[in-house]
Amino acid sequence: MSFDQILKTSKVVVCAGSGGVGKTTLSAALAVRAAQLGLRTLVLTVDPAKRLATALGLDLTEHEVKKVEGLKSGGQLEAGVIDSKKTFDAFVVRHSSNQDLAQRLLKNRLYQQLSTTLSGSQEFTSLERLYEAYESKKYDVIILDTPPTKHAIDFLKAPERLSNLFQDSVTKWFMFAGGEKGGILSGLVNRGTRTVLKSLELLTGSQFIDELVDFFASIRNLQKVLRDRSKGAQELLLSEQTAFVVVTSFDAAKLTEAHYLQSVLKNMGYRLSGVIINRAFPLWLSNGSAETDTSTSGSASSELAEFYQTFRRYHSQRYELYEKFEKTVGESVRIVRIPEYNQDVHGLEGLERLAERLAEQADEKINSNPSNSNGM
Amino acid sequence: MTVKGSQQKIVFVTGKGGVGKSLIAAAIASERAKSGRRTLLVELGDTSYYQDLFSLPEVTHHPASTKYGFDLALWGGESSLREYVLHYLRMEKLYNLFFDNRVMRALVNVAPGLPEIAMLGKITSGIRKVGPALNYDDIIVDCFASGHALALLKTARGMKEAIPLGPMGHHSAEIDLVLRDKNVTSVVVVTLLEELPVVESLELVSDLQKEFGLEAVIVANRVLKAPVSADEIKAEAEKSDSSLKEFAKFILGTEKRQAELIERLKQQTTKIAEVPQIFDTTADQLLREAGASLPQAGEL
Repeated sequence: MSFDQILKTSKVVVCAGSGGVGKTTLSAALAVRAAQLGLRTLVLTVDPAKRLATALGLDLTEHEVKKVEGLKSGGQLEAGVIDSKKTFDAFVVRHSSNQDLAQRLLKNRLYQQLSTTLSGSQEFTSLERLYEAYESKKYDVIILDTPPTKHAIDFLKAPERLSNLFQDSVTKWFMFAGGEKGGILSGLVNRGTRTVLKSLELLTGSQFIDELVDFFASIRNLQKVLRDRSKGAQELLLSEQTAFVVVTSFDAAKLTEAHYLQSVLKNMGYRLSGVIINRAFPLWLSNGSAETDTSTSGSASSELAEFYQTFRRYHSQRYELYEKFEKTVGESVRIVRIPEYNQDVHGLEGLERLAERLAEQADEKINSNPSNSNGM
Repeated sequence: MTVKGSQQKIVFVTGKGGVGKSLIAAAIASERAKSGRRTLLVELGDTSYYQDLFSLPEVTHHPASTKYGFDLALWGGESSLREYVLHYLRMEKLYNLFFDNRVMRALVNVAPGLPEIAMLGKITSGIRKVGPALNYDDIIVDCFASGHALALLKTARGMKEAIPLGPMGHHSAEIDLVLRDKNVTSVVVVTLLEELPVVESLELVSDLQKEFGLEAVIVANRVLKAPVSADEIKAEAEKSDSSLKEFAKFILGTEKRQAELIERLKQQTTKIAEVPQIFDTTADQLLREAGASLPQAGEL
């Protein structure tokens, strides 16, 4: 399936990959392409660079989705920034059955100091924004950029970690503790648990335990809705309506990780549709192949020619990496290689150029193995 | 807190994702070890990056020696807390109870700030003289990417302010002091000479100055340096029949962009080192070549 077909046949396209591979930019480029195809498109980005945000007309301090103006190639495109703290705060207020508890949570010192670093909260808020947008039925396709993580797989593991936090046993444990007037620990029935909490208190101090108890007591009324929303979002991600695109940069470690990610995606039942290898080769290396070029031997500057050959050898080694990677990716998965442009891509024009690249490759590459056509 | 007579240094290596932080961190560790300092390279989290790069059977919480002269360890939130609990409680039975408890394990991994404080606590434990001895002159930390690294470093003060009383507050305050001590802590921000990483690095350098009073060193990685003069390349780029025309143009363009970005970095700090793009791919060569262009220990 070409990238155009992926965009046309999916309601949600999730761009996954580890940090620093150009995920946000490529999510935006995919969204521009979707808009060019006449689809009502929304792109949700995480922490976009200032110039990319400006190009998309986004105000980083705003929670609302905005229409992207000035697309030369036309189409209807909206963009939004996912602000983890704001989304979480809004979620707490909207879904709390008890507003006193909601306010108590928002005022909890642990929550205030650390709600953005709470393990899995960024991933949860991304999914929540996605699910909201999906439920609004305003869009033909939604492109989701995922939070920057050290390892791409963290994005998929996070909901589980977060739901661990909200599992009955943990919250009950602390509700028990908080409900007892005669000291927070005396109310615990289970002696082992009491010993454990006592050790924790010994380690951290009673003030920490107090705040922790308060934190868990305040989120207890969110427990069900949090679990339900997470479950709904997970079902959407697992459905036929969602396509995953893995974005990776071009070095051994990242490709290994991309390979691992794509096999995990498949095993977990997600539909992996495409891989985008960003900055796979410099533009001057015409077709992305790197066969040794002997035509430069008579050149004026032999040092420059030598340097050129060093470069080519380097890219030829890298090309072998690519070939190895390509063989491990299933037939049904479209691979696109994006060249390294001489300038950084920021503005709308840059995004439109990338969008063309995604579309162009979609047409030229059907049923053809690039490694057969470039003399390698 | 004063750190008397202690020579231990802690270097946090961070930067935007994909700029080569881990390689630079290892190169720094390797150079320090070569200069005769007992050096520990630390990875944070649960999975090791160096295991593959250095073809090691495993990387664990306990430092193990490498053929590069430095020791290597992987410190995560849970493993650090485990060790701390064992050391603090000094009761194995209680410790086992603590960590065999399912709820406890779930809690340790999600309690706001706990894993972060545990990792920072471990990193600064040698200086604070808490826990098992850390017999190293230098601890090089291959830290999280910029935003996450800043958030990690800020946890100590955040926790100290949120929970001033009790051991948690006490340790957080101590950790925070170590992180702000210029004689102990330094930060290396790795960047590429490209727009986005440079902008992010400049923001981080200014945040570190504002929040911690630390003057970070910037390491520009993968800098393209042609072994030919700009004039020669220019001549090649202008020849109509040259097969190297496009390549020459690429080099000219890249060198121009790099020079502009170096200027922008210089407007904010003078502590900048450049590591050239390396065309070798084995770990040994990468470490050696990157290490050769890094500033000496005293300058970091």
